[in-house]
Parts: sequence; C-alpha cells; structure tokens
Amino acid sequence: MAKAIGIDLGTTNSVVAVMEGGKPTVVINSEGNRLTPSVVSFTKTSEWLVGQLAKRQAVLNPERTIYSAKRFIGRRYSEVQSEIKNVPYKVVAGSNDAVRFDIDGKLYAPEEISAQVLRKLAGDAAKYLGEKVTDAVITVPAYFNDAQRQATKDAGKIAGLNVLRIINEPTAAALAYGLDKKGNETILVFDLGGGTFDVSVLDVSEGVFEVKATAGDTHLGGDDFDKRVVDWLAEEFLRNQAIDLRKDRQALQRLTEAAEKAKIELSSVLETTINLPFITADASGPRHLETRLSRAKFDQLTADLVERCTGPVRQALADAKLSERDINEVVLVGGSTRIPAVVTLVRRLMGGKEPNQSVNPDEVVAIGAAIQAGVLTGEVKGVLLLDVTPLSLGVETLGGVMTKLIERNTTVPVRRSETFSTADDNQTAVEVHVLQGEREMARDNRSLGHFRLEGIRPGRRGEPQIEVTFDIDANGILTATARDKDTSKEQKITVSGSTQLSKEEVERMVADAQSHAADDRKRREEVEARNTADTTAYQVERQIQELGASVPVNEKARAEQVIGEIRQLIQGNSTDLARLRQLTGDLQQIAAGLTSGGARSTAAEGERGGTRSSQPGGPDDVIDADFTQR
Amino acid sequence: MSQAGQKTETASPEQAEIERLQGEVSREHDLYLRTLADFENYRRRVERERESVAKRGKRELLLALLDLADNFERALAHVNDSPESVVAGLHTIQRRLASVLEGQGVTSFESVGQPFDPAVHEAIGVIQDDEQETGTVLDELSRGYYWGDEVLRPARVRVAQ
Repeated sequence: MAKAIGIDLGTTNSVVAVMEGGKPTVVINSEGNRLTPSVVSFTKTSEWLVGQLAKRQAVLNPERTIYSAKRFIGRRYSEVQSEIKNVPYKVVAGSNDAVRFDIDGKLYAPEEISAQVLRKLAGDAAKYLGEKVTDAVITVPAYFNDAQRQATKDAGKIAGLNVLRIINEPTAAALAYGLDKKGNETILVFDLGGGTFDVSVLDVSEGVFEVKATAGDTHLGGDDFDKRVVDWLAEEFLRNQAIDLRKDRQALQRLTEAAEKAKIELSSVLETTINLPFITADASGPRHLETRLSRAKFDQLTADLVERCTGPVRQALADAKLSERDINEVVLVGGSTRIPAVVTLVRRLMGGKEPNQSVNPDEVVAIGAAIQAGVLTGEVKGVLLLDVTPLSLGVETLGGVMTKLIERNTTVPVRRSETFSTADDNQTAVEVHVLQGEREMARDNRSLGHFRLEGIRPGRRGEPQIEVTFDIDANGILTATARDKDTSKEQKITVSGSTQLSKEEVERMVADAQSHAADDRKRREEVEARNTADTTAYQVERQIQELGASVPVNEKARAEQVIGEIRQLIQGNSTDLARLRQLTGDLQQIAAGLTSGGARSTAAEGERGGTRSSQPGGPDDVIDADFTQR
Repeated sequence: MSQAGQKTETASPEQAEIERLQGEVSREHDLYLRTLADFENYRRRVERERESVAKRGKRELLLALLDLADNFERALAHVNDSPESVVAGLHTIQRRLASVLEGQGVTSFESVGQPFDPAVHEAIGVIQDDEQETGTVLDELSRGYYWGDEVLRPARVRVAQ
C-alpha cells in the first residue's frame, strides 16, 4: 500500500514527514533542507517557483511573490483588511467576498497558492521514498473555522492529494509525544513560531482530542526577536561610529543573519560574539563590527516580547475555565520555544511543570501528522513493536571479566555468537557463566545462570574452539548455548524474562555502571594486561621448546628471565601495569627474533597474543585462553 | 433452514479453527512481508544517503570557510593605502584559502552580467538602470559557489530594473 504523509502547512515554513518502519521521519526536500519556505512566485516567464527559489527572488518580484497565504486561506475579503496592509502583493475581493491574489490581472485563490506548496512537499516526499504519494494528513491551527479547514482541504485536492484528514496543529504535537495513550489528560500546547503565537488547551480522553480553548497573537514570533538584536547592534554602531547600518541594504542583510545566528547560539551558550568585518566604510576607511552579546542582555532586549506570551496563556486557561494546576502536560512547538527565557516563562506560568520539548519543535507538528496518517492507513497498527534488551548480556571470562555478547538496547529477536577457548593445557571442561549488566567485572553484574560443557578433547590451552551463542527470541527468552567445534558436544541453558526488568532496576544498573566506569575500566585493564602477559609467556615458552637446540643460548636465557619475572608479577597480583606491559613487549620482541630465524608455524600463534582477533564474527574468531577451569 | 446448512455448522469446529489459523497465518505473513519491505527500502535509502549525510556535515564547515573568503575579499577591496608587501601577503593567504576550497571541489562562479537565476542567485536589491536589460545581475555582494554540481551557496546580487 502507498505511504501516507503528514504535512505541517505553516505560515512561514512547511514540513513534511512520513512513517517508516513505525517511526516518523522528516523528509529532506530537493534543496536538501528539512523546512520548505511557504512562498510561491509566478515569474515573468510564466512559471511557478515554490519554496527556497521563490524566496530568493522575492525582492525582484514582490507583486508576484505570495507568502503568508495561510493568513488569507478560507477567509472573507472584508475580514483581512489588516493583513493586506502587511503584504506587498495585491489582494482583491473575488465573487462572494472571497479573497483573491491579483497577479498580472489574473486572480488566484489562496487555495491555489497553498496547493503549489503542498504539491512540492508531496513531490519531494515521493522522491525521497522512491514511490508515489497520494494520501496526506494536513494540519491547521486549532482556531481555524470550517471555511478555513475546507479551503485547506481543497488546496490538498488541487495539489492532487487525497486528504485523509485535517487535524489541529496542537493535536498533532500532542500525538508526537504519544499523549493520546496516557489516559484522560488536559494538555496545554505553546506554539511560538516564526511569525505567529498560538496557545491551545486540549482535553484527551480515550485517544480522542477536544479543543477546550485557544488564544494567541497573530503577529509575534522569532522574527521579532531577531529584529531586537538587529536594532541593538545598529544603535550601538550608530553611537560609536555615527553610521546607521540599517540604511545600507547589504549591511542590514549581514546584520539580520548575524542576529539570528547569535539568537540561536544564545539558546545553548551564555555569551556569543558577533563579528562582521568590513561591515561598512566612510571617507576615513573601512569599519568593523565586533561585539559580545550575553544571554542576560538578549533577555533584557526581548523581555517585553516574552512577556507578551503571558496574556494569551492566561486567556486560554480562563476560557477553558481551568487553572495551571489542572494542566497535566505542556508541549512546546515552534523554533522560538528554544529560547531559554521562553521556557522559563512557560515553566513559571504552569506552576513549575516541566514542558515536553524533546522532539524538535520545528518538526513536532509534521511528525504528529505523519503518525496520524500512519494510524489512518493502518500502518502504525500493523507495525510490530519490537522489544529491546534493556541490559547487556555476556559471559565471564578469564580473570573475572564480563565479555559482552549482546549490547544493551539491541532490538530482539537477535542471535550473536563468539568463539572462546581454554585457559589451561588439557582442560576438558569449561564453565559458562551467563551475566547481565553494564559493569566491566563479572562479580558486579547480575548472574542469570551457570552451566558446564564437558568432554572437550585434551589439548594445549587456546586450541579448543568453544562457540558460545546467545539467542533471544521475540518474547525475551534467552538461550545460551556452548558448543565444542571439534566434538560437536553441546550444552545449553534457557533464561526467561531477560528483558522484563523494571524500569527502575534497569536505570539503577546503568547508573551504577556509569558511576563506577573509571574504577571498572582500571580493573579490567589490570586483568587484561595480566592475561596478555601470561599468554605471551606461555607461547614463548612453547616456542622455545619446539625450536629446541636451534635457539641461541643467550636468547633463551633472556627469554626465560623475562618469563620468570612476568610469572612472579602475576602470582603476586601486581598492579604495576606499566612494568607488566613493558615485559610483555620485551618478550614479544624476543619471540619475533626467534621466529624470523625459525619455524613459521608458531609465528601465527604468537601474534594472536591472547586478545581478541581482529575479525570479530569471522569463522576463526578465537579468543584465546579465556575460560578458566573451575 | 436447510439440512445442509445445519450440517456444515455442526461439522465445523475443526474447519473453523483451520480458517481462523489460516487467517492468522496470512495476517502474520503480511506483517512480516511489510516489515521486510520497509526494512529493504530503508536499507536502500540509508545506502543512498550515507554519502549525502557525510556531505551535509562537511557542508557546514565549507560554508563557514566561505564566510572567511568573503571577508578576505572585503579586506582586499580596502587595501589601497597599505604597504605593497602586506597586500601581497594578504593575496597569498587568500589564494591559499581558495586552493583549500578548490581541493574540496568548491568553485566560485561569475554572476555579474548574467541573467538573474534563482537557482544560483539570491536577490538582495534592485538598481534602476535603463542601459541594462531588466533582470541582469549588476552587482555581486557576495560570491556564489558550487560544490561539485550542486550550489553550495547562491551569489547575493543586485539586479537591474
């Protein structure tokens, strides 16, 4: 079945998203951006430009470039007089007092203009998905009346789309946070976009949303914040340099961009530098603008804009006959809600309640629309909700180390295997200790069970290949199997409910691992250094035995001395890792000298050095000397 | 009611169970195929996009470098009074920056004298000029750049009207 898309048709920018594998994804448009300007232009050569391209030529073609069509859609000409004053293109009355845009004497309905934007969004989505797109859910502000909703639906039809449903923007935002599934709740959605501010109070009950009240300010948004910074920069410059940068079109352009960048930066840092060299020049030479702007200063410059958000929030609560204590969830929408002072204000107005803001506020409405589209086409219901393993799973290996086979947050069902070997010569059994947790050492993790694989053919340490497989099925049941590749002898254990830990338990274990990370790493390093040293000593000793008389006496004596010292350190549980590593290096060098003059067969053995092979998962992925005999 | 009808109903527990199971199997199979298809499509697109994702990260860095290149041009437009050796040094640094950009496949393009094209130009203003044909780029405020075949940054221009 064809995919259905979700479209946030905005006043300034639009966004399109789609469900993929049960997860909403924002579509990247043909220009490589996630936001598409809601701008349409009819060029002198009689073609339509939409989005970024239309915006780029707006100053050349102001009478034929339509932006903010959303402010006009579905409205009467007599209602939009104040809006007409704000736009450079011609707005006229059509039949029945309908709003029409006059481009070169030809009349266009706002629906036709919005249709151009929708067509581009659907086209970009089709290109992104590699399949045709016909079904869509489109969002509108909660305060839109029936005429405005119908007109938006018609715009979709003109664009060749089958509009599955028109939904409210705040409802879409709440859907994006899954608030429909939380039972009966009252939600306040705070939407501060590029040029408009909307507050909505919603009631959700059994997955059905009801709008209780809306309020807002149709001309308040991020652009106003930018303008405050531009004015401040220009005033400062005027005071110090006696030149008004706002009168120079190019300087103003650079100033506006720098102001927006500074505003964005101040959402994450406390101070930023605005640096515009050669911003202008006069008879005495070039002038530069370089100044610091602190968040405190920015907050001061924009304090009244932030304060203007208060009224509509109070109004919406009053209209819904609620107090801030009745609000269960607060959702932030629109890029300007990234401004820390705005978040602080919302928190203050909501009695300290922490707002939902983890989903990108520019995209949250489109994401919610895509989720709704997925529900309507049955895609969301049809998707298997796959579980993840909340904690890592592994086995205990030499020196009490936890070796992970399956990392935490791996989606199940999953099957992973790794090959291990013995730690001693002639070892005929291995003990497999199945562990769960994030700590580096086995004893700090949760034990899920033990089993013993016996009947391994006696051989040198490191030679037997024991394949350990962990298999978790879709129900979270773990089967751990150990198989001797040589004899095909097998032993297994089944652990149920390995994924069914309480959230608190998982969180505690993860936090534990984090707080002990440094100590754990140190202990693991100690064990690994000892293991490597021990394996190297063992291998070189064997090498010398095999080469017999061909080893020069002095070389043999040197090797034996180093081996002796290594064994002493290991037996004494020395923590002098530097010394141990140095001795291991020395010994490896001696061994390399022996091999270059002697047998090749032992060289490969020597290189394995007791640590993981460089090809994990490969057929010969042997971890030497890992199991201890118990 | 006909007897036959009765019969099918009484003989049906097994039949009903088979049908129920068949229905379940076909639903599960459909779900499986859908998930598989979703994953295949996803995999293909991830492959297709792997390059472009890396490119996007690089793009940010290149755009920041273009800002530096702009400032060099601005500086060099004002160096008339400076000692010649300083000017020569600045030119050397500018050429070095240009070659770094070129090494990454970034090339600038000429805009002045060309007809305005929103694919590569961003109009900042208009200039009344009766001599020039309307729509001709008269003035470049910052240079435009390609990155391979794509527009890394449109030129900021003023256009004749």
